[in-house]
Amino acid sequence: MTRKLFASIAAAALCATCASPSTNSTDAAKPAATNGVPRAADGKPDLTGVWQGGNGRRGTWEEANSGLGVGGTGADPGAPANPASQQVITDPAPYKPEAAARVLESFKRRGIDDPAGLCLPLGVPRLALVGLFPIQIVQTPTQIVILHEYMSVFRVIPLNAEHRTDVAPTYMGDSVGRWEGDTLVVDVVNFNDKGWLTGTGTFHTDALHVTERYTRVDKDQIDYVITMEDPNVLTKPWTVKTTLMLREGTHLQEYVCAENNVETAHYERILKEGVPYQR
Amino acid sequence: MSRLIFGVCLTALALLVSRPALAHHSFGAEFDANKPITLKGVVTKVEWTNPHSHFSLEVKDDKGRTATWVLTGYTVNALYRTGWKKDVTMKVGDTVTISGWRARDGSNSAHAREVTLAGGKKLFYGPPAGTGEGGSTPAVKVP
Repeated sequence: MTRKLFASIAAAALCATCASPSTNSTDAAKPAATNGVPRAADGKPDLTGVWQGGNGRRGTWEEANSGLGVGGTGADPGAPANPASQQVITDPAPYKPEAAARVLESFKRRGIDDPAGLCLPLGVPRLALVGLFPIQIVQTPTQIVILHEYMSVFRVIPLNAEHRTDVAPTYMGDSVGRWEGDTLVVDVVNFNDKGWLTGTGTFHTDALHVTERYTRVDKDQIDYVITMEDPNVLTKPWTVKTTLMLREGTHLQEYVCAENNVETAHYERILKEGVPYQR
Repeated sequence: MSRLIFGVCLTALALLVSRPALAHHSFGAEFDANKPITLKGVVTKVEWTNPHSHFSLEVKDDKGRTATWVLTGYTVNALYRTGWKKDVTMKVGDTVTISGWRARDGSNSAHAREVTLAGGKKLFYGPPAGTGEGGSTPAVKVP
């Protein structure tokens, strides 16, 4: 059995790098903000900035991460801990029974088959919800760029464009965006079948279709609503509602996961030697 | 007074345990939250690397025997955001105390949650137990 588990985590490692453009969301020439929402020169809400998913607290990175949870400094032990990304799931994910069994098996194996363990991109929306690492949104009138510190992954999202047909399926898919009023709607298709959606074991197939809705409701907060559709494994569209919080003063750092990923070898040793680890 | 302590400091460590989060590698596949450990020793090696940082600690037990332990913790980025600085916060030769959890395979390896530095300051070196292993509730309904 352990050999089967070992086989399940075999894959290649991949990390992309990206540049981090400077940003400025406080241009005095821009139209006046509504509810503290800054607006771009074209009148659209300006999503530009550095944001943190998986942590709904307001404030700087230091202020919002002062508790005892993941990434917390412990400066304020009474502060709420950074929640697990799974906590954005308020209802069980609507997997078909046989697919749910596979998700549950991964949970029992404590996520040892997690693509993150192999330094691979985590997928959409999962990569944005890892609270330990910030993301940066760069907005222009014609495209949105999302830079993920974790795994050094980028997304280039052209606005009012058609999906490309000349690109191979990828972990993060192919994205196009449009504005619906003050909400940025991003349509994502052309995924491979190697990522997870959100939560341990939440696999999908290459039929995945994700619709993201980004609404900046005030200066500090983007309401982030994601609907995932995959008729191969889900019984119905799966919608998750969460937030991205502004972290002024935070800068993205380089992150090269493949530098020293010794944990993978450790997993292999555990499996080879039959060390009990499942729950 | 340097010595190896296989402490069962459950109360103290329970305060450090928080909600697990999806962050990176599975804590539970490698370490055992039921095996808390406290170690005091001399730092012999510091590795600022991704996806996890490591340092080595030379620890003497009550009989004067020396063992080298390898401690695992946060990625470099998270260490900087939680107050660490390379070659400044902790250096080779420093005497430090760590609390954390032992590896499941019984080797001299542990996940270091907190480090008490040479000057007495305490900093988190790694996340709480349970990080990265899927939280306490699966994403799907359990039949």
